[in-house]
Amino acid sequence: MENIIEVTSLQKAFGSSRALKDVTFSVKRGEIFGFLGPSGSGKTTTIKILTAQLRPTSGSAYAFGVSTEQLNSEKYRQKVGIITDNTALYGRLNVYDNLKLYCDLYGVPYQRIAEVLQMVNLAGEEKKPVSKLSKGMLQRVILARAFLHEPELLFLDEPTSALDPVNTKHIHEGLLLLKEKGTTIFLTTHDMNEAEALCDRVAFLNDGEIRLLDSPKKLRQQRGEPTLTVELADGSMVIVPKGPEGADQMFRYMSSNQLVSVQSNHPTLGDIFVEVTGRKLA
Amino acid sequence: MTFSTRRIFAILQKDYKDLSRNLFVSTTLIMPLLMAVLFGRMGIEGIASHYLIINLGFILVGAYVQSSLIAEEKEKNTLRGLMLSPASTLEIFCGKSLLSFIATAVVVAGSIWLSGYNPRNLAVIAIALVLSAVFYVGLGTLIGLFTKSVMEASVVIVPVMFIFSSGSFLTPFIDKYPVLAVVEYMPNLQLLELANRVEAGAGLGDVLLHLLVILAWVLVIHAVAAYVYKKRMVDE
Repeated sequence: MENIIEVTSLQKAFGSSRALKDVTFSVKRGEIFGFLGPSGSGKTTTIKILTAQLRPTSGSAYAFGVSTEQLNSEKYRQKVGIITDNTALYGRLNVYDNLKLYCDLYGVPYQRIAEVLQMVNLAGEEKKPVSKLSKGMLQRVILARAFLHEPELLFLDEPTSALDPVNTKHIHEGLLLLKEKGTTIFLTTHDMNEAEALCDRVAFLNDGEIRLLDSPKKLRQQRGEPTLTVELADGSMVIVPKGPEGADQMFRYMSSNQLVSVQSNHPTLGDIFVEVTGRKLA
Repeated sequence: MTFSTRRIFAILQKDYKDLSRNLFVSTTLIMPLLMAVLFGRMGIEGIASHYLIINLGFILVGAYVQSSLIAEEKEKNTLRGLMLSPASTLEIFCGKSLLSFIATAVVVAGSIWLSGYNPRNLAVIAIALVLSAVFYVGLGTLIGLFTKSVMEASVVIVPVMFIFSSGSFLTPFIDKYPVLAVVEYMPNLQLLELANRVEAGAGLGDVLLHLLVILAWVLVIHAVAAYVYKKRMVDE
């Protein structure tokens, strides 16, 4: 599959502080790529470099085959959607007028407004002034704005950090729908459940360096124990080996109707992050 | 570079709705008109007095309202959204300047009418006023790009008002300090000089140099504003 983003030996320094030390990765067209790391690890800096809002100190970053420094042209901006920590709306305008402006800027028909509001669970809120919206609703309108033109490449910096579980689920469904339509999504998050639910591959970023990069499933399998935790009818939990030696034991539990649940003993992405970096995601 | 009227009018429409709900800035539009009514009732005479009100309109509406519109976009982080959209720098500049330009034109025309100023050659004066309005809107854009908030823009506009007010305070010192002769090329003084000559019977050909000087200011201020805007697109 074609790479839509290619980053090689990317470095960024702010004075004596090195935000990115030597970052190399690529993102394939059509995938959801998760960039995971705690606050200050360099996630937003990377997004800003990839969206031409910041110049790298050294190294290269390419999107659509061109250097990201050239992404400021109108041609490429039409293909990209961006939500970062400083994305904002016009407070004195209502939801509809905010989205209408961006329909005009991106050449999108106004009918799309109802569709994107549906995607973020805000159908019927068009006339509400933005200044009256809660933080979560505001975040959803910002997401709706990014979904308007169905970008080829969507950068999302902590998109669901202000949302409750119900609305997070709506946003995740919307993102998966965009992915189905071919949008590549570059997502930064420190929510490991979000990364597991959405991402095809994840990179662990810590102190400006990528420590690990693979699919969530592979990362968990590589570090999993070859055992299962079995919950029995009497409430006890039993560890059973995964190999042939555990098969008889499992058969016994099942034939005697004792089996309640079975869980594979894989670490969570959060556990792996702590193991690799020695830091918790927060 | 693209030029889409849909994008330009979308930004204009957005600014209009936004400004109409912003009492702090929109009440500024009334100030020059109130001054014009006051001066009109007092029966003011002399070109310099008329241009005092006209320049007030240029500074308060052209420069100040424009700087507030830009500074607020920066303060609220919405300017970055426009910068990251497919709209070109030219489209954003035109869209962001159009409302201030229209408001300036309406306010200056209203001030002229209310103060009872009847130029001897309306066409020449109209050309000079339009060029001046474009200059002051460009000046406002530049102030907006340099300031971080509407409050800061409100402070910065005070010395600008002082410098660009009609009959610059520096002109009396030109005889003593010849270096200050450069002040005579300021757009407000060029406009005043042009108006005086038109009143004395000069035609378009006679005041062409004044128009060219104002045009040069227009080009320089917009070129500088475009350069600063491009710099602002990338964080340091």
